[in-house]
Amino acid sequence: MSVEVEVNESDLAEMVEQVWESYLDPEGVSPLIPTYDENQPSEVHSSVSITGSWSGHVVYASSMAAAQRAAAAFLAMEMDEVSEEDISDTLGELANIVGGNVKAMLPSGAQLSLPQVVLAPESSARYPNAQRISGVYGIWEGEPVSISMWHSSSDNKEEEGE
Amino acid sequence: MTLSQADFTFVANLVRREASIVLAAGKEYLVEARLIPVARAVGAANVNEFLADLQRRPNPQFQRKIIDALTTNETSFFRDREPFTALTEVVLPELIKSRAAQRKLRFWSAASSSGQEAFSLAITLQETLPAGWSYEIMGTDISTAMVERATKAEYSQVEVNRGLAATQLVQYFERAGAHWRVIPALRRNVTFKHMSLTAPFPPMQPFDVIFLRNVLIYFDVATKRQVLQNAARILRPDGLLFLGAAETTIGIDDNYERVAAGRTSAYRTRNAVPSGAARRG
Amino acid sequence: MTPMRAMVIDDSRAMRMILKRIVTKLNFEAVEAGDGKEAMDLLADMTEVPELALIDWNMPNMNGLEFVTKVRADPRLREMTLVMVTTESEQSQIVRALAAGAHEYVIKPFTEGAMIEKLALLGLVPTGANS
Repeated sequence: MSVEVEVNESDLAEMVEQVWESYLDPEGVSPLIPTYDENQPSEVHSSVSITGSWSGHVVYASSMAAAQRAAAAFLAMEMDEVSEEDISDTLGELANIVGGNVKAMLPSGAQLSLPQVVLAPESSARYPNAQRISGVYGIWEGEPVSISMWHSSSDNKEEEGE
Repeated sequence: MTLSQADFTFVANLVRREASIVLAAGKEYLVEARLIPVARAVGAANVNEFLADLQRRPNPQFQRKIIDALTTNETSFFRDREPFTALTEVVLPELIKSRAAQRKLRFWSAASSSGQEAFSLAITLQETLPAGWSYEIMGTDISTAMVERATKAEYSQVEVNRGLAATQLVQYFERAGAHWRVIPALRRNVTFKHMSLTAPFPPMQPFDVIFLRNVLIYFDVATKRQVLQNAARILRPDGLLFLGAAETTIGIDDNYERVAAGRTSAYRTRNAVPSGAARRG
Repeated sequence: MTPMRAMVIDDSRAMRMILKRIVTKLNFEAVEAGDGKEAMDLLADMTEVPELALIDWNMPNMNGLEFVTKVRADPRLREMTLVMVTTESEQSQIVRALAAGAHEYVIKPFTEGAMIEKLALLGLVPTGANS
């Protein structure tokens, strides 16, 4: 039995908006402005993997400057106080929150991995047999940020067989 | 980037004319923050450009969007809590006695915004009324966009986090994709309509309780008085009006008197005549 | 008067920092743990039990639901108020956590105001306390 994706682009956009409202832009003055450009550049990325009833990845990618700003906003720090560890932890948690919310909308039995953070462009990432199925691409305070969903087509046959 | 004086005056005049809302000087920052998403949604580079264009070429649809953006109240479920506690502990027990024959209550949530207040009233009534009673709640708002939203009765995770106990969330809501939707058993008792509080009121059946909270603060004294007078005509003689914590009828409309309601206060019309035979001249 | 204490249990350091900031603002003394096991170990060594625990669900070693179940089974920890703070947002999961003994449930992402309102609902913050 194949399981349809139950999370569409507008659901993803709403989750992203809520992350901004909660942590990155609580005053509502610097939203993520959509660019619809799925090829926009990135310098860092983080991801969580989902396995079970649906298999794939949720990936955050942005410029280093945006990542630094995100960490400063998330942790209530000044931009110049932010350490590499702060950036790494923040990006991991951003992927985890969006990924967790995606998981909650999937048929039960899905599992979420621990977040992975890579201080390198998203284009360097390898998700075997995975295809990007939706994403929110935007500019935040002049810097590129994206959150996308990838679906793995063939590496989850065993889990689905139960 | 800050709003120029001329742009601010343009916006202030617009919302004063269309919604009778007074934007005091010094709210430039708020106006700009609320208009940024509107400007972006219509494809303008920024708020200044959006307002400059609109002044050159009036556009009723864009004006409507500005009014919606500036009149939408911040709201949450069980906002301020005390009025709802007062309903449960004091007001409803009395109404349950005085309406024992009809066993039906009508509430009005005025300026209902996205509907959280109306559904908080519905939850309160659902949890307090004895079996065999029914209730109707009417929500009204000046924003048609908000009336549509409230009618859908869908709330985001961030919204359901605010004010609701977890037990109420699982009991009165169901997941609908990324949202939570109010269950039909509550929704069928709540209707939302478009209505401007500053225009003459349409014909309405009288209400047992009116929630008119945190909206008078936006109006000048003459408008406040007019709204309060109109509300008095559709409030049952022994019915109660709840205002926001920072609002009062005192010095505006002496036809009301303040009465204690639990740890907060509410307003009743003076010379209240028992049993629905209000004489008013 | 001794300040109230809050345990912040989450495997994400970034999330612990956010929660710690909020409870500190409300005059709690914060104690951090990276998972349920670490939190249980800390509790075993404490003479006074914290008033509040904010608990993530998905954590290594001992998850939040197991932690809630263990705390509820221990008479010494009876007075602790338990709040789940998690992305787990299926209705069935919320019901499970409440049935296991959690008092409240906050879905991530949450705003600071929402967290304060939830704690006010539990009587742990004077009503109206904000920002």
